[in-house]
Amino acid sequence: MAHSLAAASSFSPPAARRRLPGQVTNVISSRSLVSFNSQRMNFTSTRSRPSQLRFKICCSAKKETVDRVCNIVKKQLALPEGTAVTGDSKFSELGADSLDTVEIVMGLEEEFNITVDETSAQDIATVQDAANLIEKLVVEKAA
Amino acid sequence: MPLPHPPPRTPGVAGARLFASLPPPPPSPLQSRREVHVWYVCPDELNDRSQLDMYMDLLSPSERNNALSMNGPRLQKDAMLSRALLRTTLSRYSKIDPRSFDFKKNKFGKPEILWRSDDSNMEWPLHFNISHTSSLIACGIAMDVPIGIDVEEKKRKTTKSILSLARRYFTPSEVEFLAKIADSDAQQKEFIKLWTLKEAYVKALGRGFSGAPFNRFSIQLETNSRIQISKAPKACNDSDSGDYLSENWRFALAELNSSYYMAVCIEDNSRGFENGPVPLGLKVWKTIPFIEDTLVSGTDAVKLIT
Repeated sequence: MAHSLAAASSFSPPAARRRLPGQVTNVISSRSLVSFNSQRMNFTSTRSRPSQLRFKICCSAKKETVDRVCNIVKKQLALPEGTAVTGDSKFSELGADSLDTVEIVMGLEEEFNITVDETSAQDIATVQDAANLIEKLVVEKAA
Repeated sequence: MPLPHPPPRTPGVAGARLFASLPPPPPSPLQSRREVHVWYVCPDELNDRSQLDMYMDLLSPSERNNALSMNGPRLQKDAMLSRALLRTTLSRYSKIDPRSFDFKKNKFGKPEILWRSDDSNMEWPLHFNISHTSSLIACGIAMDVPIGIDVEEKKRKTTKSILSLARRYFTPSEVEFLAKIADSDAQQKEFIKLWTLKEAYVKALGRGFSGAPFNRFSIQLETNSRIQISKAPKACNDSDSGDYLSENWRFALAELNSSYYMAVCIEDNSRGFENGPVPLGLKVWKTIPFIEDTLVSGTDAVKLIT
């Protein structure tokens, strides 16, 4: 299937699309988020070290988010007890087919109250990618 | 069952049995661009260790690594069988050793054969597409035209409700069609039929899920068993003014072994001399590569819905 999440069944994302963990993505995202957040600074309560907090949100999702994504994935795929699903888990390797994939996306949308468009979803290869996208969408929605 | 370390690549010998190095060709080759052949395996029935060793031996090193990176022995076996099925199927139509094929991906990630310049056997290039369910892996083959195939268990349970899935992913007219079905089993079956048809189209198109979002085109099963596909109208347009994609794409939908729906889609740009739409010719084989091939189309195992 064609698949909202990359590599769900017959297709795998081309190698070029795979991002190096933590590197390029951080730079791009943090730049755009810095300008966004600086406008909000007046309205939010004072946080200690705000620039570090901004950086943390945009490049790597909180563990809590990753855990919530893992739970949704485990439930949808009915994985055997004890199967490890972590941020590094690739959806293609978990045996998700196209219908599983769209149900996972729907589950994530419901859980986090966001909408995921097909183009963004197509770049998701791992659980961590999904969690990062979710947090980005949650922040954008709160704007 | 865990996958064993691959044996040395001695052509044709595995365990104590001797296998031909090329699987037999189909009794009838692909006759035209409007014919599709489907070969499928049932992984749960393939547990003979020496057979599995031999199939593993057909894979390239990267395919082997990829299969072994799957989560758990069952998924690893399925991934391996998927590649073995593909290679043996292509071999039947080209007389090329199954191990010799190389593959590449188009810019959207769709797998394709990388033909070498000395592959002069082929008058027209073969196109393929693969579909998995947990209990069946199917490989569709066509001549010279892009192909998409999707197989799904008829009774597959969804975690979300049918209508919520349809509302999220399908077009308004498809939602309306499903909502009118009172019986929940019947509704679920119609959903799965639509799903496989839409999947088959998107896979034939080869542009990825976002290349042809499901809610931008409608598929309709008409009373005369024709399948109609049309672009979903934009919100501002009249609801009847969708662009018709039916002229360029042919579909077949069948019930397989009373347990699955199988949809196949090929591109068809021919402007023939026929008076009406010519149905897509479909032949289906169940295979245990190198051991047994059974033609199942034309029997009760394959019931054409269109």
